[in-house]
Amino acid sequence: MLFNSLTFFAFFVVVLTLHAMPLPWRVKKINLLVASYIFYAAWNPPFVLLLWASTLVDWFVARAIYRAEQQSRRRALLLVSLLVNLGILGYFKYGGFLLDNWSALMAAVGVDWTAPAWNIVLPVGISFYTFQTMAYSLDVYLGRSRPADSFLDFALFVTFFPQLVAGPIVRPTHLVPQFAEPVRANRSQLLWGLALMTLGLFEKIVIADGALAPAAEAVYEATGSLAFIDAWLGTLAFAGQIFCDFAGYSTVAIGVALCLGFSLPDNFRYPYAAIGFSDFWRRWHISLSTWLRDYLYIPLGGNRKGNGRTYVNLMLTMLLGGLWHGAAWTFVVWGGLHGVYLAVERWVRERFSGARIGGTTWFRILMALLTYVLVNITWVYFRAPDFATAWRLTRSMIGLTTGGAVVLSTDYVTRVVVVTIGMLVVHWTMRKRRLEDVVSRIPWWLVGLVWGAMLFAILITQGAGDAFIYFQF
Amino acid sequence: MDPKVPLRDVPRVAWSRAGILALILLVLPLGGWEAYWRGQQFRPSTRNSDGLWAMARRWVDRAAPEQTVLVGSSRVLFDIDLDAWEEETGLLPLQLALEGTNPRPVLSDLAADPDFTGLAVVGVTPMLFVMPEAGYRAAAIDRYTTESPSQWLGQRISMPLERVFAFYNFDTALFTVLHRQTWWPERPGLPFQPRVVRKLSDMDRRREADMWVRLEDDPEYAELAKSIWRDFLDYPPPAPSEAEARAQFEAMLDEIKRDVEAIRARGGDVAFVRLPSAGYFREDEAAAFPRERVWEPIVAAAGAVSVHFEDYPELMDVRLPEWSHVSARDKGRFTRDLVRILRDNFRARGTLRPELEP
Repeated sequence: MLFNSLTFFAFFVVVLTLHAMPLPWRVKKINLLVASYIFYAAWNPPFVLLLWASTLVDWFVARAIYRAEQQSRRRALLLVSLLVNLGILGYFKYGGFLLDNWSALMAAVGVDWTAPAWNIVLPVGISFYTFQTMAYSLDVYLGRSRPADSFLDFALFVTFFPQLVAGPIVRPTHLVPQFAEPVRANRSQLLWGLALMTLGLFEKIVIADGALAPAAEAVYEATGSLAFIDAWLGTLAFAGQIFCDFAGYSTVAIGVALCLGFSLPDNFRYPYAAIGFSDFWRRWHISLSTWLRDYLYIPLGGNRKGNGRTYVNLMLTMLLGGLWHGAAWTFVVWGGLHGVYLAVERWVRERFSGARIGGTTWFRILMALLTYVLVNITWVYFRAPDFATAWRLTRSMIGLTTGGAVVLSTDYVTRVVVVTIGMLVVHWTMRKRRLEDVVSRIPWWLVGLVWGAMLFAILITQGAGDAFIYFQF
Repeated sequence: MDPKVPLRDVPRVAWSRAGILALILLVLPLGGWEAYWRGQQFRPSTRNSDGLWAMARRWVDRAAPEQTVLVGSSRVLFDIDLDAWEEETGLLPLQLALEGTNPRPVLSDLAADPDFTGLAVVGVTPMLFVMPEAGYRAAAIDRYTTESPSQWLGQRISMPLERVFAFYNFDTALFTVLHRQTWWPERPGLPFQPRVVRKLSDMDRRREADMWVRLEDDPEYAELAKSIWRDFLDYPPPAPSEAEARAQFEAMLDEIKRDVEAIRARGGDVAFVRLPSAGYFREDEAAAFPRERVWEPIVAAAGAVSVHFEDYPELMDVRLPEWSHVSARDKGRFTRDLVRILRDNFRARGTLRPELEP
């Protein structure tokens, strides 16, 4: 079920009403659990079985790990959880990719082998909930937390509909304790939650789908080489589109949870104002970057095993992070580019840590713009359907082509320029601020004015009910 | 390393007052927006959405064995009056035509459906019919096979709203309106792009589409519609090589023959109709898709009953305000004539269909 759909609107009214009724807390949690399964099944009912499988396996495995005394048994049990979760993920998401690459490898060594057709539908949000349940078993294995006391609370943690299909990826310690005691949003929380939902839907419907997506599509669906300006504008459009799409989803998710009385963590902190790439990853998809840090980078050794190993760990983490996004080599390159950026930044910081220039405002603005430009280069590999398109775009963006086609009308150019400048100004202004603090400082009538304007813009944009980009991951 | 329960503080704002103001500031401009579009002769109308088409396609699944299904592009959609058809035959036909879209994938879908045993009336708009792909509304055909429960319900929630708000219409969406404005200066180097077709019709939940009243009554708007057709006709998409075009055409004939035979094998039948065009549109069609090289081979391959408007003066005696579609004021009479001609042609062949009996 999409947040930007009439179905969700009706669903949410029913869920909110049930949650506000004077029912026992256990009944309310069962309501939320059933609602979460309906939310997921509304897309494709049979795939609810995957949620159940993931829930049951990690519930029993984590308890067994907690009880086991022998390290070998604990390890074997953890292996069961990883095999089931990664097996589900591998089968549905990477099966076709692996077969294609195996075929290519066989062909390269002269073996004539054709992969069978792999027409498997990718269950929506599978990468999110498998990572979330794996974190539960890993936390218990690593001694970071103990198993949940209640199966209902655990099942709700796995399935909680606001963040089920596109995050934020929450940890057991984020959410399970919130299910222990009855919670219900007070009026301020409810209205702030609704305001956050409005902001998220505004980002998705008005900015991402309405203003920017057509320009990004025109550029990335062009078949020939493009003019320098068009290649850049199409990529800037996609940079804005993917931010507003994904941050919009997270903001709606946080708002929905808050309306029900629950707190979800921030997933974005104005990433296009990042100065450098480690800063970028502290601001972009925070719940994934911290997941990768805690469950991949640190277990690999992090920065504790010498300089060379740190660079290797960094690259491995980012390459796998890229592959998490999609079963294609273009995503691996996207992750690889970020890995290279992070490695270079680390090397530069180590070498020039004493340089005085680093503190000036202009230098920081320059570095933020450089970061933004380089992030945009990576978006090419994220958005392009294949390497031919990505390389064509890259060549146009670095000025290696002449006579490339102009594909964007003045209307599209205007939209991209206005939104991009506006977005950069907002991100830079909000760089060290929290939205809550800023909203606290403005008068109520201005809050109402902006809120009403966003609602009006959402309704007159109408929207085509386009799926969120991160649903495919 | 050990994330705790996140704390979400709520900004210190007079939230009730802010919320009420937001609602007021939503309702007032929205009322103005609605009034503006009603002033532009927009009326609440069912959205011609993919979900609505999928709903109509499902009606075919549940229909009686003798059922007429209308397949085609915008001419079948706009020109045929469902009520008049029902008056003539006692059966309400199901409307599956899709504007700007090749009807052959829909015909193939019906041919592959073992439950379809009725009569398919297929409209041939040559430039669309010979395309190798489905075209503009391909997503509607996919929606029928892939529609999720959420989409199914969303369509049903949307329809009552469509009958209330005039602004809830694809043509009045903010960025569609902005994109259609003429104030945007031309960008140097940008190749010519045909303008997007403006609003042409109003629709009801059965997919009965009447020509929009403004198109009928406002000569300036009709001229705009004609000028947009000229864009399309003067700048067609790149044509394949002659050899490719020939191969595609032969493949198309094979496909039609196969589909018609499949439907007939189950007791159903197919009729092909070529509905009227006029003015520059008709001249262009005659030049680019001559009747003897496109229409005649299609009906010959199908071995089907066919009706070409040029053979029937009563079908040519209609108003076509923008050259391509029959005026809503003429479509009732036009439809009755078409049904009678189809009935006569089937009768002449000795295979009168129960769907067409008076």
